[in-house]
Amino acid sequence: MTDIRRRNNSDIQLFQGVDLGMVLLYFILTMIGFVAVFSATYFEGSEGFFSFEHKYIKHLVWLGISYIAALVILLLDRSLWHKFAYIICAITIFIVLLTFTPLGKTVNGAKAWLGVGGFTLQPMELAKVGISLAVARIMSNYHFSVQRFGDMMTVGALLCIPLGIAILQNDTGSGLVFCSFLFMFYREGLDHWICVPAIFFAALFILSFLFTPAVLLVALIVIFTFSAGMIMRDKWKMCVKYVASLLFLSALLFLILCFIAPGKLGFYECLLYVTIASMVVVVIYAYRANIRKLYFLVLIFSVSVICLPTSDMVFHHLPQHQQNRIRTFLGLHHDRDLMYNVAQSKIAIGAGGFSGQGFLEGVMIRYSRVPEKHTDFIFCTIGEQFGFLGVLVLFALMVMLIYRLMRMGDRQLETFGRVYCYCVASIIFFHCFINIGMTMGVVPVMGIPLPLISYGGSSLLGFTILIFIAIALDASPIKR
Amino acid sequence: MNNARNDTWRYRVLRWIVFAVFMLFTCVAGYLQLIEGSDYFSKAEDNVIRYIITYPPRGEVFDRNGEYLIQNKICYDLMVVPREMPKGGIDTLRLMNITGERIQRLRDAFFKANKAGRRVASPVVKYLSAEAKLKLDEWNPSGFYTVPRTIRQYPRNIGGNLLGSLSEVSPRILEQQNEEGYYVMGDYIGEQGIESAYEQELRGEKGRIRRNQFADHATTDIVELEAVAGKNLVCTIDARLQAFAEELMEGKVGSVVAIEPSTGEILVMASSPTFDPNELVVGRGRGNHYMRLLNEPRRPLYNRAITSSQPPGSTFKLLNGLIGLQEGVLKPQYRYSCNKGYRSGNVKMGCHEHRSPLDLDFAIATSCNAYFANVFRNILENKKYKSPKEGYEAWRKYVESFGFNSKLGIDLLGERQGVVKERKYYDKLYRGSWNALTVLSVSIGQGEIQSTTLQLANFAATIANRGYYYTPHIIKQIEGQDSIDIKYRTPHNTPVDKHHFETIIKGMWRAVNRDGTCQTARLEGLDVCGKTGTAQNPLGDDHSTFISFAPRNNPKIAIAVYVEHGIWGSTAAVPIASLIEEMYLTDTITRPWLVEHVKNLELDYYKAYDRHKKKK
Repeated sequence: MTDIRRRNNSDIQLFQGVDLGMVLLYFILTMIGFVAVFSATYFEGSEGFFSFEHKYIKHLVWLGISYIAALVILLLDRSLWHKFAYIICAITIFIVLLTFTPLGKTVNGAKAWLGVGGFTLQPMELAKVGISLAVARIMSNYHFSVQRFGDMMTVGALLCIPLGIAILQNDTGSGLVFCSFLFMFYREGLDHWICVPAIFFAALFILSFLFTPAVLLVALIVIFTFSAGMIMRDKWKMCVKYVASLLFLSALLFLILCFIAPGKLGFYECLLYVTIASMVVVVIYAYRANIRKLYFLVLIFSVSVICLPTSDMVFHHLPQHQQNRIRTFLGLHHDRDLMYNVAQSKIAIGAGGFSGQGFLEGVMIRYSRVPEKHTDFIFCTIGEQFGFLGVLVLFALMVMLIYRLMRMGDRQLETFGRVYCYCVASIIFFHCFINIGMTMGVVPVMGIPLPLISYGGSSLLGFTILIFIAIALDASPIKR
Repeated sequence: MNNARNDTWRYRVLRWIVFAVFMLFTCVAGYLQLIEGSDYFSKAEDNVIRYIITYPPRGEVFDRNGEYLIQNKICYDLMVVPREMPKGGIDTLRLMNITGERIQRLRDAFFKANKAGRRVASPVVKYLSAEAKLKLDEWNPSGFYTVPRTIRQYPRNIGGNLLGSLSEVSPRILEQQNEEGYYVMGDYIGEQGIESAYEQELRGEKGRIRRNQFADHATTDIVELEAVAGKNLVCTIDARLQAFAEELMEGKVGSVVAIEPSTGEILVMASSPTFDPNELVVGRGRGNHYMRLLNEPRRPLYNRAITSSQPPGSTFKLLNGLIGLQEGVLKPQYRYSCNKGYRSGNVKMGCHEHRSPLDLDFAIATSCNAYFANVFRNILENKKYKSPKEGYEAWRKYVESFGFNSKLGIDLLGERQGVVKERKYYDKLYRGSWNALTVLSVSIGQGEIQSTTLQLANFAATIANRGYYYTPHIIKQIEGQDSIDIKYRTPHNTPVDKHHFETIIKGMWRAVNRDGTCQTARLEGLDVCGKTGTAQNPLGDDHSTFISFAPRNNPKIAIAVYVEHGIWGSTAAVPIASLIEEMYLTDTITRPWLVEHVKNLELDYYKAYDRHKKKK
């Protein structure tokens, strides 16, 4: 560390080592964003082209602020971020907590905004910077290991703070962004055996809305018996025997119960209990035959079987609008507003065709047929006006941005810089995934913006700071 | 910690994940934009463009003297935007008093309005009068406003079943019209009468406005198609005469048709019972009135003048006389005896008491059955034809040339053609063995012969014209057109020579003016000619009919009156026809006592109609 500081202090060249490609990418994306916001909010014949009433002028002001912020970050001492990571994190979280004071404002049902003067600010966008820095700082500590449970719990606890606040703010979408850190954890060497079950449980959670528990239970038994058969290779007969005996025993139990206490337990419950009881037998078998992997299967299986009835319960404790969003996405529930948003946004994107309707053309955006056309649904504007070509260009730029951030991370010598860059890459990737996915109707609707494109000062400023801290860290003279 | 190889591997996995996600998005975007693009494009257009239909004013109808028969009238719909209503509610009692609606109806309307949307304007009370509108303007409760709309009005309250009314277009019509059909749900369409027959002319053409809608409710309108106003019509009806005829027919069942012989224009077409056409104006109470009228046993919705065909009775004797004269089997001086009827073999046909033997002149005047039985028999048994059957066919041709047994082609819908049987019918009925005596009842207009009142009036006009007629019609002028259809301007000639008509008219003149059956119809100086008819029927008293024209030379009006169960021709039909003729020709009524007599006539309809009436 001392080495770096000394070099910096003595160096007069200001922007030495700055990744100019990255800066250019950033600049192009923000310009595309401004064009999109302009075409979504500009109307012929509206009064005063440069009036502050217009959203595109506001966006322009925020662009200026962001550029100044970027410049300031590049001018600052680059060791600052490592040093003050915890303090910056504490300050940003404190600002987030201010939303619960009278300063807070409620927009679209989310109490996640601060009203300062004429501007409104979403402090959670800034908190992303603080949290990323703090996580990078923790993980760059000596002796920290991603594979160690205790260490991971520390990071988990830190991440739970913004997530909890976001849930309290009724703005879970912003909170869920931190789930994307799994991406970064994987890069840092998180065990596959944690990643796979995490994805498995997530899938199970979603499937549990689509199918009844009974169907899922049968599916689980089949899948896990099959996996066990794969592991043991030559014991297929035993697997069949196991399933058959499960069915037989549960049928027997069901019949007996019918006589003792009729109508109390269904066949599904009988099968559930028999299956759980059978785990003991399986564990004993695994111990005797000395098959290690079977323990693991039993663990996941038991957890998922127990989770089956609980996922429903968890779901019902979610706020109503989130239940609706998930249900709408899964096609189980027809929320008129949400269906309308997504349907309209799909129409707008589709209407673009191959080469688009042209700048300031196209009826859907011009006539405000897409709600939130300049913020969360800005992608529709690009889709309608610039068509498939424009969308391809945007995708390419986004992929380049994420790749470059990842590469920047990988060429850092310091763990701190690497983790931080990957944090930024994860956040941007998650935002793109959710935002673009929801406008095209392949991902449930969550109110999070498209990085660097969407209208909204705090989001633009937040992402600028995120990216430029990464650039600043990357620009430090010692490189791999 | 991690070795370098593992690092690279994980780095690659993550890159692949990012790449895969964006590839997936590219596929989705490609699907939306390239494959379904055009589909979504039209959906996008639908999203912002609304086509608004503009309705032209419907054409108005005038009578022959320029008086309004059907008029457009502005009324008002009271609309409410629930969100803008005052917080404490409004004074419903005052609203009730102004609109005349029951409280329950108002409550229902408010409930519906709330359901339709708090920001949306919904109708509370429809078809308010201008007076109520003024009262509302004075009060001006917030959230309420009135919208003008035009409805039909019938200033003289006459001719319900002649003029027709407007109704909402029925699902059946919507199904029947092809895809580019004119009507859409909720449009109004003429029902019955002139409104229906001249629907095309009256309705005009709808216009279309293309409206671009922005989300903030700002709109721009482009007129794509101008609405074309409906055409005004001039009716041949004389409103005053029509009203008078309806007044006279009140309480009776039947119809009156008066025609101007020189043109075929219908002066009067009154059908009784009738109704006030204002009752069926779309809007308040149309449904109830319509159902009541529909279920009335005497069927006021029918225009009997064209839809009811009845035996013409003795008026038909004139035609047999004409045919006999033309065929040469009858000469005016031929005399036949009548001893209270006609007898030949088993066939017996009664007659009333009169002088015997008698010539054609007096036979017409006194309406002798026996005389015309002889005439008819002579026509059929004419040596010219091989058999009476062929004679019958020849006779039928004459009859049809006078407009019987076919629709005359009046410009109203629902006309009946009447009945004159073909030879085949009798061949089948009597298995080939029949002769003049078998069908003898036809000679006096009874049995297998029926005609509408319109056909009788047309017959009267033909006699008045001495041998030709113009197709009767109800509209004499259409706005923007030089003349009406050519078919109403071409005379139809009959094969009977003109001088034969003079012979018959002599008899008709005598019937009215000397010693005939219809001396009530005599009008000093007008030379009225007429012929009564009394048609027997199994449902009660005989039908009373009368055809007439006046004056004898250069006739101005030909009239046929048919009063069902009117006892004798001279009881009901003759005075009615006479009064109408007098009214039309002299503009005065010199015999108020006759008007009283007609109005006070008590006719018995129990057997024919009223026994079917539901007991209340």
